[in-house]
Amino acid sequence: MNTRLLMTLRVTVATPQNIAAVPHGTRRTVPITGGDFDGPWLRGSVLPGGSGDWLLLRADGVLELDFRATLRTDDGALISMRSFGLRHGPPEVMEALARGEAVDPAAYYFRTTPRFETSHPSIRILEPSHNRGNRRPTR
Amino acid sequence: MNARPLMRLRFTTAPVEEIGLTPHGTLSIFPITGGSFEGERLRGTVLGGADWVTAAADGTRELDLRVTLETDDGALIHMTFTGVRDDANHYFRTLPRFETAAPKYAFLNRLLAVGVGEGHRDGPVHTIEEIL
Repeated sequence: MNTRLLMTLRVTVATPQNIAAVPHGTRRTVPITGGDFDGPWLRGSVLPGGSGDWLLLRADGVLELDFRATLRTDDGALISMRSFGLRHGPPEVMEALARGEAVDPAAYYFRTTPRFETSHPSIRILEPSHNRGNRRPTR
Repeated sequence: MNARPLMRLRFTTAPVEEIGLTPHGTLSIFPITGGSFEGERLRGTVLGGADWVTAAADGTRELDLRVTLETDDGALIHMTFTGVRDDANHYFRTLPRFETAAPKYAFLNRLLAVGVGEGHRDGPVHTIEEIL
């Protein structure tokens, strides 16, 4: 499988809303207040309205991330991003993360699977139907 | 089939984020900035969230909402709904689900509900009933 860099995304968050123990695990909703992204073809900012990460800590210790954000490119196009992810690792690493300490990203598993929707022609390549291998530039 | 009132819920919204025409339809995201809810068994305020609304070619809109509710005694409730809105036929129905850790509100974790929405200038109002 070949991949290429699409973007680096950074978000800023507000105080989490701790729903706490629900039937499927421990639920926490994290409002996203902003952020930015940049990559070879697109860059811009994260809009605060309608952006958040709905977290569910499962009984097996795995954190499920269910992320939604609206991105605005520097030329004004809006992109809706939705991403499902998993985060888990050794207990001591996860505790250090929870305390906000700097942790080597290789020390734990944190993977997400973003999907994008936009109406902007220049970035329609983000949509699954356009995102096939034969549309990738030759390298 | 019988139902009984659960709550009346009002949302306030921020300006819409128009994503536009995507492969699934026309996507509009309505940030929810606040609101309130009240019923015999629970009342409180809306902390925020959003509704991802996809308009189909026939004019109907599919709703996909997520919000956090806070009861007047401090419990947090995760609420989601999917729904259908067709203003031409005055049809605006939703299927809310709830999750909470608060024992007092645990009944919400195991009920199904149906909502009837009304569009208002200052934000939608939903009358939600528990299916008995």
